[in-house]
Amino acid sequence: MEQVAAGTISEPLDLVKLSLGERVFIKLRGDRTLTGNLHAYDAHMNLVLSQVEENIHIVDVGEDGTAAPPRIERRGFEMLFIRGDSVILVSPLLE
Amino acid sequence: MLFFSFFKTLTDQVITVELKNDLCITGTLKSVDQFLNIRLDGITVEDPERHPHMMAVKNCFIRGSVVRYVRMGARSVDTTLLEDATRRGEFMVRVLKGLRVD
Amino acid sequence: MEALIPFTTSGSLVDLVDKKVLVILRDGRKIIGVFRSYDQFANFLMESVVERLYHKMEYADRDIGILLVRGENVVAVGEIDLIAEDLIPLREISVENIMTRITEDNTKRDKDQIIKENVLREYGFVSEGREGDAY
Repeated sequence: MEQVAAGTISEPLDLVKLSLGERVFIKLRGDRTLTGNLHAYDAHMNLVLSQVEENIHIVDVGEDGTAAPPRIERRGFEMLFIRGDSVILVSPLLE
Repeated sequence: MLFFSFFKTLTDQVITVELKNDLCITGTLKSVDQFLNIRLDGITVEDPERHPHMMAVKNCFIRGSVVRYVRMGARSVDTTLLEDATRRGEFMVRVLKGLRVD
Repeated sequence: MEALIPFTTSGSLVDLVDKKVLVILRDGRKIIGVFRSYDQFANFLMESVVERLYHKMEYADRDIGILLVRGENVVAVGEIDLIAEDLIPLREISVENIMTRITEDNTKRDKDQIIKENVLREYGFVSEGREGDAY
């Protein structure tokens, strides 16, 4: 098993290859995270995901300059292309 | 090239392009090039009050590098085909680099 | 070759030639003028150009003349519908007045931005600076 794993993962993007068709967690620039089913990627980390849930972390600043912990704004998309230059990390999601 | 081909299959479909400045433009995809620059026709903007400059704009060219997301209907995409093409693309890169092919 | 034209940069910019266009730049500036010529990098030349400053539903124009834009700095180029343009409920005010309003908003936003970044850093999100730095 360990040998198989060592043989399959020889470069970073191989981890992404193993996640094709599976649910993944993505962290993006702009205080965003996504989960969705991965259907495509390339060397730039451009991605296509389906059944996507996006979480945007928003901080509201009051008139007095104080800020509460971030609130999360959720959006859902049935099919989404994500440009690779916004991607910080891609991680397999264990269900 | 995978995503260039992917967007070519979406031509004449209605898509929403979300830019990194949060502007969301919906329109019919008219063309795409190898940089993933996008040409949209018959556009509408989400939250036009926040983007008054877009009110009189009917079609537009969007530079690929400023795109965050492109949203589309699930029915316009064959996910099995996409996954196969992604694996094949990986295969071709390895062949070209002279790497071991699993 | 002809079949490829819709899939090149020139294929998508060609119908904008000699049209009145709005250009959005990476720093958020909006430029209006007549689109005259371009190349494969989406560098282009415009004539009768103004920079249009917006604040809510008010605007002001600043004359520029002829402008060469480096493609790298472009977010989007849109053709302006000359009929729809006249129907838009925007009010023109002086450049000085609009600048005062824009500066006020920016000062408040910049101050809030620092507070927001400090909170988000604790949650593992790095700051990206102002509009334009995100690209």
